[in-house]
Amino acid sequence: MLLEIDHHSGVPIYRQVIEQIREQIVAGQLGRGDQLVSVRDLAEQLRVNPMTVSKAYALLEVEGLVERHRGVGVFVAALGKGRKAQTKTKLLDRIMRKAAAMAVQFGVSEEEAADMLSKLYRRYDSKTRSSK
Amino acid sequence: MNQTESIVRVEQVSKRFGKVQALDAVDLEIMPGRIIGLLGANGAGKSTLLRHIIGLYLADKGTCETFGCDAAKLGPKELSQIGYVHQEGELLEWMSVEQLINYVSAYYENWNGDLEDEYVEDFDISLHARVGSLSPGQRQKLAILLAIGFEPKLLILDEPAAGLDPLARSQFLDLLLKIIQDERRTIIISSHILSDVEKVIDHAVIMQAGRILRDCSFDDLREEFCRVRLTAVAGELPAVLPFDDVLHCERNDGQAVVTVRNLSEQRLEELGQGLNCRMEIQPLSLEEIYKIVVR
Repeated sequence: MLLEIDHHSGVPIYRQVIEQIREQIVAGQLGRGDQLVSVRDLAEQLRVNPMTVSKAYALLEVEGLVERHRGVGVFVAALGKGRKAQTKTKLLDRIMRKAAAMAVQFGVSEEEAADMLSKLYRRYDSKTRSSK
Repeated sequence: MNQTESIVRVEQVSKRFGKVQALDAVDLEIMPGRIIGLLGANGAGKSTLLRHIIGLYLADKGTCETFGCDAAKLGPKELSQIGYVHQEGELLEWMSVEQLINYVSAYYENWNGDLEDEYVEDFDISLHARVGSLSPGQRQKLAILLAIGFEPKLLILDEPAAGLDPLARSQFLDLLLKIIQDERRTIIISSHILSDVEKVIDHAVIMQAGRILRDCSFDDLREEFCRVRLTAVAGELPAVLPFDDVLHCERNDGQAVVTVRNLSEQRLEELGQGLNCRMEIQPLSLEEIYKIVVR
């Protein structure tokens, strides 16, 4: 579980922690039943206040992405397919929306924009497949 | 002591020095385990408040309790739970580092020798160096060691980084980040240099002219404000933008930069969907937030 905190971004640290863990869960880097690094260890590793990590974990628990087993630790929860897809869509929507708005603003046609996206998609996809 | 009981409770404390109203009906409650940033300009009353908490000043009006005990009557039992590092940082100049550590530690039954060794090693200060010959950064580290060697439950750092150069300040922050890993300890750090404390604190108390203007979670303070940059995708932005509580707005036909309060990112995105524009949401820096709060 590799996280990176940007202390100068102005985004509250607990939110940076949440966003990165959420992304790793959706991407499958963290799978069902995987244990998260303990609050204490993660705080030390990131050099942040332990309460910050605690808060992030608690909110991830509320979101249903992780489960806390008292005295044992925090684990990635079992996510239904629908739930995972929903989270994925939400994350992607935010990024794609920006790209779409910029394309329209620059006067790029829908075909051109879609074509660009396809090309980029294929490039990453082929790399992903060949590395597997 | 019960975990949910406050460590410090200040109620309606006022203090006047001659014509200056240093504290004006201040209320403050500090819960255990918090790392509090006491923020404000020079002369806001930060040090005066801290001195009331440890009984160095007596309030003209109001009450101040520390560890459930009247701060004016703190005894050895309570005082041995409070570490205090102040701006002037007076140390016994003629002693060697080792002598000073031995001298101070002798006062405490609960002195932690292992912790001492760990920090001495970390600090890269010679035990034989004379205290008077140390650099400001080294002095501050030594002062901190003397204030935490007995593992106090409450650590008060009054402008701890004010006299340090940028490198020493950054080393000092690393030290603080190490100290806060102990969740049982409550720490109050006063500072007029906001960037010094923002990595470390979880709670902010903002003072101005003897009053507390804000007392809230640091994350809440951060999320209260944000700046939105809107760029029309085609044509112009509407003449009236759909945001309430706008603190600042600069715009032309196609672009706007708006500083807003109490609008979550999600709500902003909802509001922005009707605008046919590209929207970028950015947090404010702590300096900007501070300026809004004190104005």
